[in-house]
Amino acid sequence: MKNFINYQNKFNNSNEYGNFVQNYSNLENYNMNNNVANSNMNMNLQKELYEPYQGFIRGNMFPNLYNQYKITRPYEVEPMNEQAELLTYIDALTFATHDLNLYLDNYPNDQQMIQKFNEYRMQANKAIEQYENAYGPIFVNSNANSVTPWAWDNRPWPWEN
Amino acid sequence: MWKYEKKLQYPVNIQKKNLKMAKYILTQYGGPAGELAAAWQYLDQRYIMPDEKGKALLTDIGTEELAHVEMISAMLYQLMKDATPQELEAAGLGSQYAQFGMDLFPSDSFGNPFSMTYIKVAGDYIADLESDMAAEKRARATYEHLMDLTDDPDILAPLSFLRQREIVHYQRFKELRDYYLEKYKNQKNS
Repeated sequence: MKNFINYQNKFNNSNEYGNFVQNYSNLENYNMNNNVANSNMNMNLQKELYEPYQGFIRGNMFPNLYNQYKITRPYEVEPMNEQAELLTYIDALTFATHDLNLYLDNYPNDQQMIQKFNEYRMQANKAIEQYENAYGPIFVNSNANSVTPWAWDNRPWPWEN
Repeated sequence: MWKYEKKLQYPVNIQKKNLKMAKYILTQYGGPAGELAAAWQYLDQRYIMPDEKGKALLTDIGTEELAHVEMISAMLYQLMKDATPQELEAAGLGSQYAQFGMDLFPSDSFGNPFSMTYIKVAGDYIADLESDMAAEKRARATYEHLMDLTDDPDILAPLSFLRQREIVHYQRFKELRDYYLEKYKNQKNS
């Protein structure tokens, strides 16, 4: 858990906007490789991302799209134990990959975003493997299902608190 | 095909039973701007998208909406957990209990069963994407109304997350719509 605690310390202590937003300044070489709607799509190109946990608690990885309603700041996710803490770490990384996935569907030539996607994807896969070894399967094809009795039946189920 | 991931997209951990909020939130399960309608609308529209971007985006957002169905279901389950029939009746959920017991059943907040007529498909990718933009706007408005009706942080946190997803989805649909208008401007009267 050590590396995850370090990670969490990093994202939990970053209250300043600037600390959890990553800048992509090197996007001048961006090229759609596409003859149509080129300038239109370039204008929308993302230059900033939240760190995964900060994006996750907002439901949005993109500061320029973020729009808050009613609440003054996003709620922190407060895990009750180590298992929940690791799951939160996984939730944050899988959320980040998913939100980048949607963006990349529209902007398939944004190489830096693809790199970011792969960075988060690999971190998420590693954490999922660690979680499944310790607490049981998230996916049915996990190695964690090679035990007897059958591990898939075990709690927690996602909707139970 | 789809595979199950044994976790929610965002955690739902509601400590306090709240049947009134359950009745209101029910519309985001089986109502006209609900998650079930959104999931099916986008997944049905995949087949006529004119290029790979559209097929990918509708598949991926449609899939995420299925995860939102699960989040809303988890909220309903936790909000109604351990309620007595008398409590359900007092909250206006007596008919729900009579017909379905404690099972979930997709309907709107008035009890009207989910209807596939909520799903807007027109065989025209611009019309379809504009329906999707409107669907995201309507869902966003509904989440704001739901947030207006409670001060419980356990309920507000997932509602706020889901509202924010509508904003991102709207943007992605709009980008794709604008891109298609430009890309196919000589082929379509738009």
